[in-house]
Amino acid sequence: MSDFNILLEPGVFPRLLNGLWVTVWIAGVSVLLSIPVGLVTGWLMTAKSRTIRAIMRVYLDFIRIMPQLALLFIAFYGLARLWNWNLDATGACVLVFVLWGGAELGDLVRGAIQSIPAIQTESAYVLGLTGPQTFARVVLPQAIRRLLPASVNLATRIVKTTSLAVLLGVVELIKVGQQIIDANRFQYPSGTLWIYGVIFLMYFIVCWPLSVVARYLEKEWATA
Amino acid sequence: MTEQQFRGLEVRDLVKKYPKAERNVFDGISFDVPKGQVLVIVGPSGSGKSTLLRTVAGLEPIQGGTIALDGDVLETGKPGTEKAGRSKRPSALRTRIGMVFQSYDLFPNKTVLGNITMAPVLVQKRKKADVEAEAMALLERVGLADRADAKPHELSGGQRQRVAICRALILHPEVLLLDEITAALDPEMVREVLDVVLDLADDGQTMLIVTHEMQFARAVADRIVMIEDGRIVERSTDPDEFFAHPKTERAREFLHTFEFERRRKHEDGEPIREFEDVD
Repeated sequence: MSDFNILLEPGVFPRLLNGLWVTVWIAGVSVLLSIPVGLVTGWLMTAKSRTIRAIMRVYLDFIRIMPQLALLFIAFYGLARLWNWNLDATGACVLVFVLWGGAELGDLVRGAIQSIPAIQTESAYVLGLTGPQTFARVVLPQAIRRLLPASVNLATRIVKTTSLAVLLGVVELIKVGQQIIDANRFQYPSGTLWIYGVIFLMYFIVCWPLSVVARYLEKEWATA
Repeated sequence: MTEQQFRGLEVRDLVKKYPKAERNVFDGISFDVPKGQVLVIVGPSGSGKSTLLRTVAGLEPIQGGTIALDGDVLETGKPGTEKAGRSKRPSALRTRIGMVFQSYDLFPNKTVLGNITMAPVLVQKRKKADVEAEAMALLERVGLADRADAKPHELSGGQRQRVAICRALILHPEVLLLDEITAALDPEMVREVLDVVLDLADDGQTMLIVTHEMQFARAVADRIVMIEDGRIVERSTDPDEFFAHPKTERAREFLHTFEFERRRKHEDGEPIREFEDVD
């Protein structure tokens, strides 16, 4: 129990917070960039053209089937070799998480658009609304309501998956924790539990409000 | 057909096919709805009544014939358009025909007032204040002025259909299409909706109505058309005569399905036990 004192060592908390910031930054930027990618992907998934739909299908399945770690390695080691891209580890993480988040969000957008009953667009047509007016005023507002709870859950998944960034050498929350544990191995042999406990709490503090919001939206918007 | 400018809706030789279907849904049917009159279409389920209204509204492509309003051709059928989807009819023409569906057609993300005012402001570019005033007057007329700020899910089915009627009327459509608007309602809500329609008919609103409420059809109609399997079986400009003495055997059979009677006793007072010989 005395190893609790590892948390009181100077610099431990600030370093952990720095690590948390890297985690939140990667996740935040990835989620923000996933939104436009997801909206466009979802819209393309409902396109009339079979070719476009097939391409989007391949994209989604590829991203889903590949382990995220494999995608990260392809982006970081593969692309750099192939096209001589100078992509740093953080950049590679954001790229992969945006491609992944965009594909998953796209599928949610597609589902939400297709779940709007045909009678809604038919009513809009009979009332004289143009195609874009119907999409913007009738379909999209309803689709977003159906989509938001699941998208918030997707955001928490992205936050958690950022821990894979360790394997590309990004010094995020988990990596900082490992460094602290290694540096204090002799002074605090069982400090591991305490450090990982704090890391657990930090992930919880980031993700828990998101799940609360998701649950609230699900309940609040269930009607209508 | 009519050299004199005909006022109202004219459907001529309409042909409608579904993709891959063996026979046509309609094989050239024609009828008129003169301005200010109400045409009621009756017929068994699956006879194509709703499809007919949908073609007039432009929701389904037609493969032959014409649909015209006050002499302006809205739609000309072209063969091979079975999969074409909705008509490319411009929105200015679409607003000349209003339509109310069986159910679930209000926009759930908008209030009652928002549902009614959206199209006139967006499509007809009318001033929002004027539109809102007219919307309130319409709601008053259907007895829902106090529900203007409610969301559709807070309303009963009958109230929703009355709002849907207001939403169609505010565009001042020359013809109003009503597609079984009470079919999904609880029986006690049917009346409040049909009373509104009767009121509109008295006001001279041209309407094309599909309904299963025969009493209502008889009361509201100026003309009756009965269709079955995409063909007109019987047409009449005298609804009372049609319902009392249909000319065709098929119409007689059809109307008979709406009559109920129970013979409890034989003439001699013995209870009937007929169900044993039912095969």
